[in-house]
Amino acid sequence: MTTVDESVAAALQLEAIRRRRRLVKALGWGSLALAVLWFTAREIGLNPFALVQGADHMWDFLTRMFPPDLSYILFLGRATVETIQIAVWGTLLAVVFSIPLSLLAARNTTPLIRIPWFNEHWERLGLHLLVFHVTRMFLNVLRGINELIFALIFVSAVGLGPFAGVLAIAVHATGMLSKFCGEEIEGVDRGQVEAMQATGASKMQVILFAVIPQAIPAFISYSIFRFDVSIRSATVLGLVGAGGLGFSLIKTLKLFRYHETATCILVIFLLVWATDWVCSKWRAKVI
Amino acid sequence: MITLENVSKTYGGTSGIVALRDVSIHVKEGEFLVILGPSGAGKSTLMRCINRLVEPTSGRILLDGREVTSRRRQLRAARRDIGMVFQQFNLVKRLSVLMNVLSGRLAYHTFWPSLLYKFDQDDKRVAIECLTRVNMEHKAFQRADTLSGGEQQRVAIARALAQEPKVILADEPVASLDPKIARQVLTYLKQIAGELGITVLCNLHQVEYAREYAERVVGLSQGTVVFDGPSGKLTDDILQQIYYRDPEAADDDG
Amino acid sequence: MADPVQAAQDDVLAALVARKKWRFHHIAFMAVGIAFLAWAADGVDLSPKELADGIPKIAKYFALMVPPKWVFADTVWQPAIETVYIAIWGNVLATLIGLPLGVLAARNITRLAPVRFFAKGTLNLFRSISELIWAIFFVAAVGLGPFPGAVALGMNYAGILGRLYAEAMENIDPGPVEAIQATGAGRIQVILFAIFPQVLPQFVTYMLYWFEVGVRSATVLGMVGAGGIGFELVTTIRLFEFRETAVVLLIILAMVTIIDVASSLIRSRIY
Repeated sequence: MTTVDESVAAALQLEAIRRRRRLVKALGWGSLALAVLWFTAREIGLNPFALVQGADHMWDFLTRMFPPDLSYILFLGRATVETIQIAVWGTLLAVVFSIPLSLLAARNTTPLIRIPWFNEHWERLGLHLLVFHVTRMFLNVLRGINELIFALIFVSAVGLGPFAGVLAIAVHATGMLSKFCGEEIEGVDRGQVEAMQATGASKMQVILFAVIPQAIPAFISYSIFRFDVSIRSATVLGLVGAGGLGFSLIKTLKLFRYHETATCILVIFLLVWATDWVCSKWRAKVI
Repeated sequence: MITLENVSKTYGGTSGIVALRDVSIHVKEGEFLVILGPSGAGKSTLMRCINRLVEPTSGRILLDGREVTSRRRQLRAARRDIGMVFQQFNLVKRLSVLMNVLSGRLAYHTFWPSLLYKFDQDDKRVAIECLTRVNMEHKAFQRADTLSGGEQQRVAIARALAQEPKVILADEPVASLDPKIARQVLTYLKQIAGELGITVLCNLHQVEYAREYAERVVGLSQGTVVFDGPSGKLTDDILQQIYYRDPEAADDDG
Repeated sequence: MADPVQAAQDDVLAALVARKKWRFHHIAFMAVGIAFLAWAADGVDLSPKELADGIPKIAKYFALMVPPKWVFADTVWQPAIETVYIAIWGNVLATLIGLPLGVLAARNITRLAPVRFFAKGTLNLFRSISELIWAIFFVAAVGLGPFPGAVALGMNYAGILGRLYAEAMENIDPGPVEAIQATGAGRIQVILFAIFPQVLPQFVTYMLYWFEVGVRSATVLGMVGAGGIGFELVTTIRLFEFRETAVVLLIILAMVTIIDVASSLIRSRIY
């Protein structure tokens, strides 16, 4: 029979060992992290002193921007409207494309490829999910490439203007939206699906009546979120000539009219902030 | 040990919901007091007024003859002397059992050592002793969310004990536990009051536990004390008063 | 006398039919919506004709990229790695700036409303201005190179992460907070012992996720001279070197994919 004191001493000893082990582990990971940070900082020339030295440049830049030339707002009306229009159509096209694509990108709704006498091996290789895998890969390509890169390519393919911007946003947002919704569809409640199957419904009917209704709220909510993001992207598409406020921004910057640049930034801030506010209210209403 | 003088609490302004009305109770050192009442009677508010998790609207609370005020430094000292046990245990789930118990020692330190989650050897000794008292020392290094409800509550008691408090407030400590485990937890609490001379105030809504464990019972109904006496004197009449209040008072119930 | 059950069923059916009926305001709403979309389409030059013209052009553009000129990879792999470095430091800076601001912006931690308001406003400002605009600003300040890119990314992501951190902290279980307060612990001790342990896994998830997104953003910083692979991309596109562009795009895709996989592996292990 051990006494209380003995067991307390034993526990304390154990605690000391565990703490030492934890310390070693923390030191190991910590020094690894520090090494990575130090190395990468050196590679990209990260230098806090440069920021301090650059402070007068920044200050110079800022003072040349202030006060913003508020009369320039009148000239930004068209660009602001265009930014919104780009985001609206970019998102809308993405929503339309995403409906079929997200169904193809979910394991439980994607069409399965079956070969009658070869099925067993086929499935073991996962080839019956071929459509799913190809769709996911395609979506990853759309997701992986920034909308500005798409905009750059589309601008050189179809010329300057907002049309390239719309396509760029549409393509990138399709990738984002479809992947998210595909995952949402895969996560639906199995019970409701089984109940629908038990009534003798066909696969299509099960998808329409048990799967889609469950995924709809998330789909709408994410689409609204995407619109919010699209507005933010649309404000910079102009940097590569794809329309919207970014074009005014870069134009005034190149002409050294910094007071007007400041106005552009102000309008961008207000637009993004207002969209964020509207979208969060809208999303709260939908959910 | 603890004296409440005309404590009242109204939520949401002067015309709000009255949770406590002129409650005066005196609790002696080492006493095991059960506050009995239906849910919504104001039991939780009463406890939270004592350690000022809730600010009372009026009245005074004395701990050991000194008034508990909301002034930061004094309040920290007062809270250190008052351990609290909750219905939902309120352990920090991702920390180890030992770290949870050690968090009861925080009021003894400034935040500098806490910044590194560091405690000294004496703290650890106290924590492990407290765990031993509730027979949980064998699980000291597990994460708190791996424990069952009864075990979590025992750890929560150990956390309160690690404060080396004069008083423990137990707010419905067994409401989320099944009867067997509930009796075990109440037994621990009662033992603590007896052996360590810690005053225990325990909220309950079940009459049978109150009869079984309490030395003294305070019956609370709609924020008013309707009974104060030894548990032997809990007659059906009085229970009627606690649980089924008279109709004229029924409409201002929160 | 009609059968009451029958009557009730008829009522329900009638109600269903009534619900299906198009009301005037539905039609008006639709009309306004369609008019708005048509107006927006006109504003952005979107029309079936444009699409019919444009899509073959884009297809032709991509067709010119085949076969990729693989030797160009020798020139691009270093900027590609630099892109990852920018993303790493961008996110580190984002957390260093965003976490304190997030703490100040969280309703259940910061009691002083003006402080909270100020922190929220700052986060909003950082968030609303795209990393590219920040990059233009910092390039003007410290010159071309990856360093202003990392700082720009850090500013924008500080806004995004700070808000997410604040929301995560606002949504924790208040029970443990109350319990630690009741022990007599001070404000900072409560944050360290009751709040941080609860939100830590979520914080790590956010950091990893936004690192992934950060790599994708960092691929375009080069367009404004802020380092990374974006510079090579712009150059090849401007010079119509389609087959080189293809290589750059493929390297970006490979990089993004590797990071996606790695971070989902780490994420599955932290819980």
